Amino acid sequence: MIRRVLAMREAALALVVLALFAVFAFTVEGFADWFNLCEQSRHWIVPGMIAVPMTLIITTAGIDLSVGSMVALCGTVLGLLYRDAQWPIALAAMAAVLVGLSCGTLNGVVSSYLGIPPLVVTLATMALFRGVAMGLSQAEPVTGFPAGFRWLSQGDLFTIQGSGGPVGLPAPLVALVFAVLLGWIVMRRSWMGRYIEFIGDNETAARFAAIDTRLVKCGLYAACGAICGLAAIFHTALFATAKADTAQGLELSVIACVVVGGTRISGGRGTVIGTLFGLLIIGMLGFGLDMAEVDWLGSQHIVIFVGALVIVTAIFNEWMARWKGDHQ
Amino acid sequence: MRKLVIALLLLPIMGVGCAPESQEGTPSPGTAPDEGTAPEAATDAEFTIGVMPKLVGIDFFNATERGAFEAGNELGVHMVFDGPVTNDVNAQVQMLDKWIFKKYDAIAVAPNDPDAIAPVLEKARSRGITVVTWDADAQVGARDFFVNQCTSASVAKTLMDVMAEGAGAESNYIIVTGSLTAYNQRIWMDEMEQYRQSAYPGMTNLSETPKASEEDQALATQVTTDCLKAYDTLEGIFAITSVALPGAAEALRKTGRADDVFLTGLATPNAMREYVLDGTVKKFVLWNPVDLGYLAVQVAVASAKGELQPGVETFKAGRLGELAVKGDQVILGDPIIFDSDNIDQYDF
Repeated sequence: MIRRVLAMREAALALVVLALFAVFAFTVEGFADWFNLCEQSRHWIVPGMIAVPMTLIITTAGIDLSVGSMVALCGTVLGLLYRDAQWPIALAAMAAVLVGLSCGTLNGVVSSYLGIPPLVVTLATMALFRGVAMGLSQAEPVTGFPAGFRWLSQGDLFTIQGSGGPVGLPAPLVALVFAVLLGWIVMRRSWMGRYIEFIGDNETAARFAAIDTRLVKCGLYAACGAICGLAAIFHTALFATAKADTAQGLELSVIACVVVGGTRISGGRGTVIGTLFGLLIIGMLGFGLDMAEVDWLGSQHIVIFVGALVIVTAIFNEWMARWKGDHQ
Repeated sequence: MRKLVIALLLLPIMGVGCAPESQEGTPSPGTAPDEGTAPEAATDAEFTIGVMPKLVGIDFFNATERGAFEAGNELGVHMVFDGPVTNDVNAQVQMLDKWIFKKYDAIAVAPNDPDAIAPVLEKARSRGITVVTWDADAQVGARDFFVNQCTSASVAKTLMDVMAEGAGAESNYIIVTGSLTAYNQRIWMDEMEQYRQSAYPGMTNLSETPKASEEDQALATQVTTDCLKAYDTLEGIFAITSVALPGAAEALRKTGRADDVFLTGLATPNAMREYVLDGTVKKFVLWNPVDLGYLAVQVAVASAKGELQPGVETFKAGRLGELAVKGDQVILGDPIIFDSDNIDQYDF
């Protein structure tokens, strides 16, 4: 029984999360502090939300490198519409989601229908979307967002009086929970999930099984774009700033959550719950090392850690999949 | 499916795992503020102040760092001086978050944007941390005191007087600034325009929108070179950040226009020395950044310990002596005008 539990990635990941928490809680002062963790978790919402559609995309053996640029572009459009075009903030936010949807659809159409590998397409649009954002904003940040808008990321659902001051449950957690739930339903409770895994496992076979593989893949990139637009709202609210050079390197954090969460980078097997654990692991690692004032190699230790972790877990995932294949 | 059930079963265990930790976590930070609330109980060795410039690695803020450590050592407090490598307010917010988590006693920050920085400063204050802004202000409710290098009116007046003397009271000029959103730079430009209208109505600002150089010296050189080509009647240039002025001076030297265009602005003597000695720049203006960093720490520590309260008229700031306090602003004093005669007396 214990061996079977350990064989299951989600359970194993849960243990890793617990172990990591325990290690940091006992060794790093200020880590196991409810206020600090809640505040820090606000920074995990954006990568966490985007990691959900990324899980589905990677399960089809695809990838989307343009997520950070899409967040920057959507946020920039939001800011410019609000400040320069004087749109109501809610309308500007909806426009941001539409921009994200359009960007994602572009990724999807070019990669699925025109047959260009998504790695190349999204590498190109990563530069393209960032460039458009820079051009539109003249690289100038937009600030002065209303308090009600900032509440989305900076606010609390409720607060209690802690010993060091008020402690609250961050409002944006709702968006993350909703995104994960939606992703889980798609992956595990609908025909979509089976199609997605089938495509990643063997796309040719999936096509012969009368699955419209191009439509499914295109839809996933479009959905990823729309969620980037949504995430851009939270990202802008979190920093109360819309700027074109923000969210750089976001694609690495997002892909790291997915891979560490146990989704095979070569496709065929994906788990949204695993991705959530991946987010917790990456997030706690970054926060813990930061609080411990680890200062190896300048301040680049976190990027190095995450990069190394992705390679190691990607190899582990492949190895696990092959090992299981041999024994089943 | 079964995997998922087990994973879900594990979730509550995780929750249980978290709960005791967080409860254990709360009393320990709870003890620190208990000691901290009574100012006299906090011995100086335990007092930690975080000082954050707009960015690290440029002359001006390196000089403020020296002054800040000087005050920190005098007062015997533990001091951390750190900031982003570019003038990025998002990076400031993330670093300030960490300082709040570490329960610093006081934070003295030079914000890159008054609005975007405000929420994190309010969060710090709600956790009992004293917040002081220096170099540039944040929204008024977000900090306890603002350490003002000198009133914006006195900076604006000095700059305009230097320009009128150098380029003439009828001259045409442009302004090269840092970022268009930087609050102090916007205020200076407003004050310069007001003072121009009353004192030098014959002078003309050719650039209604100031030229942004984003705290990037190479960009400032580029922008200035472009302006020298674009404006035929240009007689004067203000470059009002410590990065923009040497950048603009470089452009003037390269194009050999130093004789017909008068350049002045705000920068550190070390950055400007070569341009002053070769005659590219005759005069420029700045307050003493070493004193500014020194004062920021003095004010933050005194305010955190309750020795400096709003409403007082003066504040005794260590070696700087009695300084004027206007409401919730402590004023450092008038700026210095640097030229080839006095520049060698200053090293920052």
